Amino acid sequence: MSGISRAGQRPPMSAAAMRAWRIGFIVLGVAGLVLGGVVLLDQVNPSRYLGILAWFIGALVIHDGIIAFGVLGVSLVLRRAGRRVPVAVLAILQGAIVVGAIVALVVFPQIYKQGVGTLNPTVLPLDYAGNLVVFYVVLAALTAAVIAGYLAVRARRARTGSARS
Amino acid sequence: MTTQREGPAGLNVTMQRLLHDMRRSLASPSRTPRMATVLGRLLGLAFVVCFATGLYSHFLQDPLPWMHFATRPTWLYQVSQGIHITAGIVCFPLILGKLYVVFPELFQSPPVRSFPHFLERASIALFVAASLVQITIGLLNTFQLYALFPFPFRQTHWALSFVVIGSLAIHIGVKLPVIAKHWRKKPERVARQLTFSTGGAPKAPATATRGVTGRVFAWIDQTPGQHPSPADARTSRRGFLATIAVASAALVALTAGQSFRVLDFANAFGPRKMGTGPSGVPINRTAEAADVLTTANAANWTLTVTNGDRSMLFSRDDLLAMQQYTVRLPIACVEGWSQWATWRGPRMRDLADLVGAGPDVYFRATSLEQDSIYAVMEMGPEFVRDELTLVALELNGDVLDIDHGYPARMIAPARPGVLQTKWLSSLEVI
Repeated sequence: MSGISRAGQRPPMSAAAMRAWRIGFIVLGVAGLVLGGVVLLDQVNPSRYLGILAWFIGALVIHDGIIAFGVLGVSLVLRRAGRRVPVAVLAILQGAIVVGAIVALVVFPQIYKQGVGTLNPTVLPLDYAGNLVVFYVVLAALTAAVIAGYLAVRARRARTGSARS
Repeated sequence: MTTQREGPAGLNVTMQRLLHDMRRSLASPSRTPRMATVLGRLLGLAFVVCFATGLYSHFLQDPLPWMHFATRPTWLYQVSQGIHITAGIVCFPLILGKLYVVFPELFQSPPVRSFPHFLERASIALFVAASLVQITIGLLNTFQLYALFPFPFRQTHWALSFVVIGSLAIHIGVKLPVIAKHWRKKPERVARQLTFSTGGAPKAPATATRGVTGRVFAWIDQTPGQHPSPADARTSRRGFLATIAVASAALVALTAGQSFRVLDFANAFGPRKMGTGPSGVPINRTAEAADVLTTANAANWTLTVTNGDRSMLFSRDDLLAMQQYTVRLPIACVEGWSQWATWRGPRMRDLADLVGAGPDVYFRATSLEQDSIYAVMEMGPEFVRDELTLVALELNGDVLDIDHGYPARMIAPARPGVLQTKWLSSLEVI
């Protein structure tokens, strides 16, 4: 993107250029929305619109109402539980929980579909539930190793620091 | 528990601390416009990649009259669609991370300041909803879990792609000053002050005592200690970015093996696995599902090749009697999985020559399969005339399995699997 300032090396984008770019993006975006609407009207039976709308609202409710507040709650609990735990350890722990949750989000529907059955055996041919358990074991082991490594480095630094002083 | 916390006063302090923690949790060091810019451009890039590869896949299936397509490299569609699906999966950690960063923006006060502000918020709601629905139905489509959504996948995914890209452009337009300001990293001391207008780092009580909300926040913020040091804030931000990176890397490593051979060994969560199925090739639609078990196995099966008034019938033996060619081509599905295989049979262009078809003609292939929009497929001259386009009779050294399209099927370079018509019935010049 030209015109963006690079820490004083280049002048910042002029107000007029910024305005032109913004208008350009917004016009392009509105055109995209109109095209999307036309394609929807043209190709999707109106009887399906309510279903799409329900999914839109559902997506917002599930994310903003459940997932986001869930994450807030977990971070609150971790912070309260871990007042004496170093921030980095908390960050590693939180990270591992989030990675586990995101992978679950992708893999759970596969496990569900495997349960209800697929049209042929080459669709979802793997042991997804088993693999998820293995993934969690590996994730837990790696998390423990990273935390242990961090604490060891921290302890060595503290010793070196105190020896010097 | 200290004596300070006992009784109503203690409860008060506990409540205060809890609210303070909540406010601090909301005002995480990762929630800065800079972080929104960093994740936003990655997510924006992923969306654009998905859109471009999606357009390519769409127009291969529904070409406009003037369109011609590249047939080399032969893995063009395999890689393009593999990227489409893999980038789509990566959108999950990226969009969740992006939404985490901007979560405090949800609680803007007042919620709507003006009509343009209302439009901006409405466009963001549409953007978020359309994006979440788009990547979710895309994921569910890769393992054919259609029962969960009451609308057709392909048409809705196609329409939403414009809604998502349009909303993205509007979002960039609206936020361009913020994006420009935070495109490059700022020195730490500056970065600390750049938080979202709402839910930013707790301000000093004196500056935030206006109104009831101000008083409440000021009261919460009087809780001693607990402000993150710059080092802690940096650790927290790095941890957040590392988390998104690890989640993205894990999803790619553990699923992309269905599209890319180099990652096949790590394929733990891909909806497909290379080497599975008859002759070591996965299947999308079985012969039973296509209702061709009787017609495809019929002893009197013939392939009709027509050019205007000129028509020829070929039995399987007739096709086997023609010059046979062996080609290595991937079968690459719109659902993202792909599989390299060895195919054998006569060249499509030899059949075209036999009925006197010119070099620039289009062909229509019709399958025996029932109830499928893919039962009829059209193919431009670039594919008809390609030396690698075969009417395949064998796959990986075996007679074509009934589920792979016995007695004969199309295989052409750089085409989606749904256009590699199985259970061929006729080929005609159009």
